[in-house]
Amino acid sequence: MTEPIGQQELDELRHGVHDFLTAKSGHDQVQRLVDTDAPYDPAVWAQMAEQLGLQGLGLPTEHGGDGYGLPELRVVLEEMGRALLPSAFLSTVVMAASALVRSGDEAAQAAHLPGIAAGKTTATFAVAEGYGSWAIEEIETTARRVDGGWAVTGEKPLVVDGATADLVLVVARTPAGPSLFAIPGETGGLTRTPLRTLDLTRKMARLVFTGAPATLVGREGGAQDVVDHVLDLTATALAAEQVGGARACLEASAAYARDRRQFGRAIGSFQAIKHKCADMFARVQLAQAAAAEAANAAAGLPDAPPLGVAAAVAHSVCSEAFMFTAAENIQVHGGIGFTWEHPAHLYYRRAKSSQLLLGGPTVYHERLLQRLGV
Amino acid sequence: MTAMTGNVHPLTPVGYKQLEDSHRTRTAGGVEAPPMPSTMDDFVRSAREFLDANAELRGGGPEIEWGSGADRIAYFSADPPEVAAEKVRAARAWQRQRHEAGFGWITGPEEFGGAGLTTVHEIVYAALEAEYAVPDTGVLSVIGLGMIGPTILAHGNPETRERYLPSMYRGETIACQLFSEPGAGSDLAGVETRAERDGDTWLLNGQKVWTSIAQHADIGMALCRTDPNKPKHKGITAFLVDMKAPGVDVRPLRQMSGGAEFNEVFLSDVAVPDSHRLGAVDDGWRVALTTLMNERATVGGGHSPVADALSLPFLVGLLKANGRLQDTAARRALAELYSLQTATEYLNRQAQRRLRAGEQPGPEASVSKLMYAQNLTRCAHFAADVVGPRLVADTGAWGAFSWSELLLSVPALRILGGTEEIMKNILAERVLGLPKEPGGDSSTPFRELRRSGTGGGTA
Repeated sequence: MTEPIGQQELDELRHGVHDFLTAKSGHDQVQRLVDTDAPYDPAVWAQMAEQLGLQGLGLPTEHGGDGYGLPELRVVLEEMGRALLPSAFLSTVVMAASALVRSGDEAAQAAHLPGIAAGKTTATFAVAEGYGSWAIEEIETTARRVDGGWAVTGEKPLVVDGATADLVLVVARTPAGPSLFAIPGETGGLTRTPLRTLDLTRKMARLVFTGAPATLVGREGGAQDVVDHVLDLTATALAAEQVGGARACLEASAAYARDRRQFGRAIGSFQAIKHKCADMFARVQLAQAAAAEAANAAAGLPDAPPLGVAAAVAHSVCSEAFMFTAAENIQVHGGIGFTWEHPAHLYYRRAKSSQLLLGGPTVYHERLLQRLGV
Repeated sequence: MTAMTGNVHPLTPVGYKQLEDSHRTRTAGGVEAPPMPSTMDDFVRSAREFLDANAELRGGGPEIEWGSGADRIAYFSADPPEVAAEKVRAARAWQRQRHEAGFGWITGPEEFGGAGLTTVHEIVYAALEAEYAVPDTGVLSVIGLGMIGPTILAHGNPETRERYLPSMYRGETIACQLFSEPGAGSDLAGVETRAERDGDTWLLNGQKVWTSIAQHADIGMALCRTDPNKPKHKGITAFLVDMKAPGVDVRPLRQMSGGAEFNEVFLSDVAVPDSHRLGAVDDGWRVALTTLMNERATVGGGHSPVADALSLPFLVGLLKANGRLQDTAARRALAELYSLQTATEYLNRQAQRRLRAGEQPGPEASVSKLMYAQNLTRCAHFAADVVGPRLVADTGAWGAFSWSELLLSVPALRILGGTEEIMKNILAERVLGLPKEPGGDSSTPFRELRRSGTGGGTA
């Protein structure tokens, strides 16, 4: 892995991404994607790879990446969350690419990672079934051997960016246990149905496999470790996104509280509003600390805590911080915050959706205790 | 979990420190060669050598385990007077010892016995010392050495500095803070204790309240009204008061948790020489700000008396003992509590890292304090929920009624060292740029302001 970069370079990276997203993914652009039901802007996706190299930032150098890790990616994800960028970054770069790396399958990595790093390939990771959590025991999708390969049959009801991904990494059972398979997005035996979503800036789809031709990735029966690890990395990455979203809500509220006048004074001079904003600030600070520590843990930095615990703590704290700030942001704005045109609802939608994406509060709190051995 | 240092709590409900405390880094002013090693590595090595030679490392693991040891989950001290006196003696001795080794006043100027190093050295030393089982010096350091020492250095005349600074940092003089009054809590600039000049002497009359460690103190820094015809911030003067002088009456103030951690101090015709004035006449508010700005950031300091009881193994022990380990509601509450505690710890750890890298303290300390109070409050109510009716009365069960002391202490954490409300105002105004509440009391003469009568709430 490439040496972690210093604080000054991280700040520069953050500014670079922020400037890029301010130009390419301002509120008008996001609103236009929402109104046209487009998943994301392919031109922006291409520029992210070509101009900034974001997709390859955290990927291994031997497969076209820069070899950095979550401490660097965290900064990028925070800015993406802050701008509410509609993008396949979480599904492609965090979930699918991490699964490929963790699988240890050199051939699969060589086949797919360079395309992901170059912004040419999008991908997703289809795990959840049943109630939608990542519980491996709920998986009923199966894979059977056919001449020269595998065929997958089953249903994944909630797949992030499932309708558009060029590559689907799917967890299916074989006699040896849960295993990881690669399936092209466009193939016979795979039906993809886009779903109506709570979060209008992140697409979801139902994927139905009826003997879809698949390639085994990694060891047969070896998916449990991949799922556990990618879950931790996804929680960590999502936490960074959530911090960015929460910060955007705080910034919007503070700006509005300074400008909006009622009863002849700025509403931010009323303690009721002031204290709301201070509470939001405290939650954002706490969430950022949790997300940063989890990112350090993911990179195995020397004085970092164990990843399982840090990721679960970050997922819990950041989920709640974002939900809290997104709700309070609407309240600080009053009536204008409840309109379709105002971005407050998009953050509110993203906040609740992110909180529930990996199983929701009941599941993630229990997962934390399991990680702690309680 | 991180706690306030030691058992001393400045109950000044004003929290200016974290946001303005950006000028604490001092370097040696003298021409002599520095007595302390100049590079950080050398500094760490010599601190280690001193600590290894004079103290034992703390053992790993919690000092309290579920079901064994003293059944006491306390935030405030409940030491009988002789035990408290013994702890003060031990604190003085350890302060003297580390001062002689050059670690007693790391940021102080050499002419008064300081080491002339930076705040970063001080933080590094504190983190090292925290690894060792040494006497708690909070009675000396939190208020006296941490806040009043720097104030005397900045505003005292040469005689006062020479007389008090070396002896304070040698552990000989304990200082307390005579700030809050019954009618001046969050609005500290509303102090009414009068100081009237009679030649070279001032006569002080009034009442101070929530005074930590006044019972042990040799000197107190008092804020007094010297001109009620000026606006409230403009008519205050600061003095150093001899706590043993005639007319100083220190009475323990029993708090709702039962102990008496704080005091009321009555001042009746207490004579203070003009040489003991800090700063100019009527300029005491500026002097007080120096004191408050030096209030220690609580990040990562010290070993909390309740930390072990709030550790995960202890709380899991609590659930087990009450047959609730498989109860999903209790598990959820534990996970939420643990997440918040751990994230607060991460916040403190990152603040420490940034300080060590030479950055100025940020707003983390305020957030850390807010979270500390919230987490401890949450924990006390979590435990109460688990223990249930056995917290209503003492059935003798281990780890049951003992939670009552914490439950009765946690309301203080949202008040002391700056009420939550004042802290939030400061965060919103200084960090987020929200406007101040309009108010005319900064220009109106103090005597014309409507004020609470004495005996009312203070915070």
